[in-house]
Amino acid sequence: MPPSPTQEIHGGTGRITVSSHGLKAVFSELSAAYPLKLLSPRAFENRVAIVYLLSYGGGLVSGDQVDLRVHVTGEAKLVLLSQGSTKIFKTRPGRRLATVNGEQIKPGTPSRQVISFTVSQDGALFLLPDPVTCFRDASYHQIQTFHIARGASVAILDWVTSGRKSLGEEWVFSQYYSVNEIFLDGVRVAKDVMLLEDNAIPTASGTRRTLAQRLAPYACYAMLFLIGPQLQTTIDHLTKEYESISVMKTRAPEHLIWSLSPLVTGQGSGVVGAVVRVAGKEPESVKRWFSSALAPIAEHIGLEDVHMK
Amino acid sequence: MDADEEAYILLLLSDSNLPTGSFVASSGLESHIKHGFGNGNIMTFVQDSLGTYARSALPFVLDAHRLLYHHINSQDCDLEFLVNNLVALEELYDSMTLNHVARRASKAQGVALLTLYTKSFMPPSQSSESLERLAQFFSKYKTLVRAERAHGHLPTCWGVLTAGLGLSAERASYLHLFLHARGLLSAAVRLNKIGPYNAQQLLLHQVRPLVTGEAEHCRGMTTGTVRTAPDLVDSELFEAHRQGSANIWPLGEILAARHDLQHSRIFNS
Repeated sequence: MPPSPTQEIHGGTGRITVSSHGLKAVFSELSAAYPLKLLSPRAFENRVAIVYLLSYGGGLVSGDQVDLRVHVTGEAKLVLLSQGSTKIFKTRPGRRLATVNGEQIKPGTPSRQVISFTVSQDGALFLLPDPVTCFRDASYHQIQTFHIARGASVAILDWVTSGRKSLGEEWVFSQYYSVNEIFLDGVRVAKDVMLLEDNAIPTASGTRRTLAQRLAPYACYAMLFLIGPQLQTTIDHLTKEYESISVMKTRAPEHLIWSLSPLVTGQGSGVVGAVVRVAGKEPESVKRWFSSALAPIAEHIGLEDVHMK
Repeated sequence: MDADEEAYILLLLSDSNLPTGSFVASSGLESHIKHGFGNGNIMTFVQDSLGTYARSALPFVLDAHRLLYHHINSQDCDLEFLVNNLVALEELYDSMTLNHVARRASKAQGVALLTLYTKSFMPPSQSSESLERLAQFFSKYKTLVRAERAHGHLPTCWGVLTAGLGLSAERASYLHLFLHARGLLSAAVRLNKIGPYNAQQLLLHQVRPLVTGEAEHCRGMTTGTVRTAPDLVDSELFEAHRQGSANIWPLGEILAARHDLQHSRIFNS
């Protein structure tokens, strides 16, 4: 049965609850409503569960809302992936704008996604989707909140590309707004809020600086949070590599650049993890960089390669 | 505060001899140039840096200013309430400033502002009750920062310093952005990117509309109440988030964080 228009707007609610029984990961909840789809293929490593976050038509359109809650308990290791990049369309191809209660969704209404995660003491979450790609004039808002217990392990990857390069799109979406907020035992350790849109403030000559000008020459920006014992090898490895970089004056920007900052809590007393940012001229090069940087994780969760699936 | 008094405070705070340590900060400009991004017009860096700094720091300047203003002018002043709120506000700023180089520079300049108040601006004698309240607050807060029980970040300390001196929130934001832009241009002069005459020309003609525009754009912003988890997909939640602090220039973040990787450098940030 095709979904009713009301579901189309207010649907998108999903639940994932996974725990461990002996060496197995067991779902006690795995449900989703349009436009969200969840798919769980078989995993082969102990206590690992894999879920693909999908959406009908391969993306979200103006007015779509997704509300997902994820709980990881026991010693379960949950791997969340997407199949190809999440596309944000202005409107879904071949469809009229959705209506709710007879009223048409206003063009320009953002696609919205809210996901909250809890991870208990020995649990692990590997949120490693492909990047979000916003098409021309599309608008996307995402809020992700993580409540993790001390001893839990999380890897959170959040990234965005400049659009469909094949169609000449380079940072021509309307707005991208993304929040990642992480609480460790109830204490906020990170809140990253990124807002990408054209400048609102005109210069002396009356011109406005575009988003594309501000983000050039890169076409992909990524952010990675790493926290917890199961990520320590990766953190140590990346930190060592980062600290060995010595920047000499260059004439032109490099193909790919990255930074690493320790994630601290309280008055800077304790380091609890790391924050990595990467920018690359092509999404493919950033993908390759992550494949290599996250190789220890891929092995840990039984994937051949986190981004060359 | 009358116009003469305000003008005098503005002159005082915009004096480049003010011991705030800002001369060792380039806010990512040195790293930006080193990474091969400095070939174009210096104003594009000023515009991007000012834009992202305004959007991430001004909500904190404004909230800190509100807190202290309320403290001086309310009937029942509660020092503990003020301090606790300010500590929480700074915790939020610290968790939002994920780039360690920027965090370090912000704390160095913030504590310098607190010291400036206690060493220089403290009223000579107990002239009025509200001045006494201020003296009490600044001494206490500086002690907390020294004991590492408060962060002492630049935007929050600027907010309380300017409120303590009686400047309006609008003037405080405007001056904060002006000083940020002027700092970038003076760093550009020291890095031999532009000449000193050019720097003044840019400050007069090009920087002004940007400072005015950004200050205006961020006027009503606030960090909002601290929400722990989004309950439902609702527009109010998104709106509440959107009026707050945000980073709008991820490239600037990466380059600023890579400051310490430079083989040789003259600035601290």
